[in-house]
Amino acid sequence: MRDIDIVTDMMTSSEGESEGFAVEMEEEASRHIFPIHFYEKHLLESIRPDGRHLSHARHTTVAFGPVSTADGSALVKIGDTTMLAVIKLEVMTPFADTPDEGTIAVEFIMPPICSPLVRPGRPIEVATVISKQLSDAIKSSGMLNYKELSLVSEKAAWMAYLDIYCLNADGSLFDAADPTAEEEFIMDTVITLVLNSSGQLVSMYKPGGSVVAHISTFQDCFVLAKHRAKELMGIMNDAMQLMEED
Amino acid sequence: MEFVNLQGIRLDGRRPKELRQLCAEIGVVSKADGSAAFEMGNTRVIAAVFGPRAVQNRSQKIANRALVRCEYSMAKFSTGDRVRRPKGDRRSMEISLVIRQTMEACIMTQLMPNSQIDICLQVLQADGGTRSACINAATLALADAGIPMCDIVVSCSAGYLNTTPLLDLNYIEDSGGGPDVTVGILAKMNKVTLLQMDNKLPFDTFEKVMQLAIDGCEAISKYIREVLLENTKQLEYRRGL
Repeated sequence: MRDIDIVTDMMTSSEGESEGFAVEMEEEASRHIFPIHFYEKHLLESIRPDGRHLSHARHTTVAFGPVSTADGSALVKIGDTTMLAVIKLEVMTPFADTPDEGTIAVEFIMPPICSPLVRPGRPIEVATVISKQLSDAIKSSGMLNYKELSLVSEKAAWMAYLDIYCLNADGSLFDAADPTAEEEFIMDTVITLVLNSSGQLVSMYKPGGSVVAHISTFQDCFVLAKHRAKELMGIMNDAMQLMEED
Repeated sequence: MEFVNLQGIRLDGRRPKELRQLCAEIGVVSKADGSAAFEMGNTRVIAAVFGPRAVQNRSQKIANRALVRCEYSMAKFSTGDRVRRPKGDRRSMEISLVIRQTMEACIMTQLMPNSQIDICLQVLQADGGTRSACINAATLALADAGIPMCDIVVSCSAGYLNTTPLLDLNYIEDSGGGPDVTVGILAKMNKVTLLQMDNKLPFDTFEKVMQLAIDGCEAISKYIREVLLENTKQLEYRRGL
């Protein structure tokens, strides 16, 4: 902490037009070198560096049908994080134990363009984890009626391939909490909750990390998640209405 | 199959020497040092540039210039049938190599020794000419990243069907069995850095088709220059200059 004060004194003592630039540089430097101190200063005022309140999410937009050649598609942006989800249907023979049902294959892909952390030639670990999380959440939520995907009993059914491409990775890839990538880097643990439209908890995920002392922390998270779910339902309904109007 | 009808109109309503509609946007991926999205008709690609940064694999470090790496991959939904192997297959590796060598020709690598520049290309929709669209997008992304280049590289393709040279082939025309010539040029210096052709062509017809592709490149380079100029004006405006 004392190092920052010394640097501040040195920088602000320079005169002339360069002073504004020097202060800007000093802030940028301290943000990268001492991120925890930088965020703690903001947390004392209950605010985050981009001006958001602690429980506020970044600006979210939803657009339907950006990929016209696919059977269904959607583009979602939360702040800078951009996800493109596309569905392509193929006919397949249904599995022997479920002759009247189709199925869905969910895959989450992080191509090298989305983040400097993804090295060309090496698939990133977090992509596989999120792929599994999404797959489990979609299957366990019961939101899809697989019987609707059947064509001819025992002979043919639809296989829906849901491919989700991350086009820009700036935190909150699983789309529930809203820290930015910078905030995620210094956080000790993440708790992810998935809710359905009636506010019921579909899945909860806390993959290790530091110990949470009170159950009340989970309850606070649940309240925040419910509030956010309502916000998202509103955004999605508006987007769907726009799509129907076209 | 009739690719050019008696009135001289192609399957998508274009004239033989007409380019598809171009659309470019700079700075689409905030996490990248430089990025651009480029559309040529229905072909849409995104290019992201990371670098110059420290070389990740120490054994590949070069002492007197930058290492340039390039990866081309197609999204699974980019073509009519779902793509089974989006990267790592022979076609993607060949295109990655070709684009890397094309861009290396214009990047001033000797100014950034011991560093690495990654050019990542993602095809979102493929309708012919993905190689050219990727090169054009990569040029814009490199400019956005502020990487020193000696010139801008632009690329365009041309073919020959129904005895007519056609500019900027789409997927149907490309699969029509005729020759496909892809050209990449350094715009100002007017030098050819990439030239690929497949199928058969008599030499004088080849010269005509190649000239048509070069003319297409010049039109694209004009558009790219406009986009870069507009982007710079926006940056100045945002900085309050």
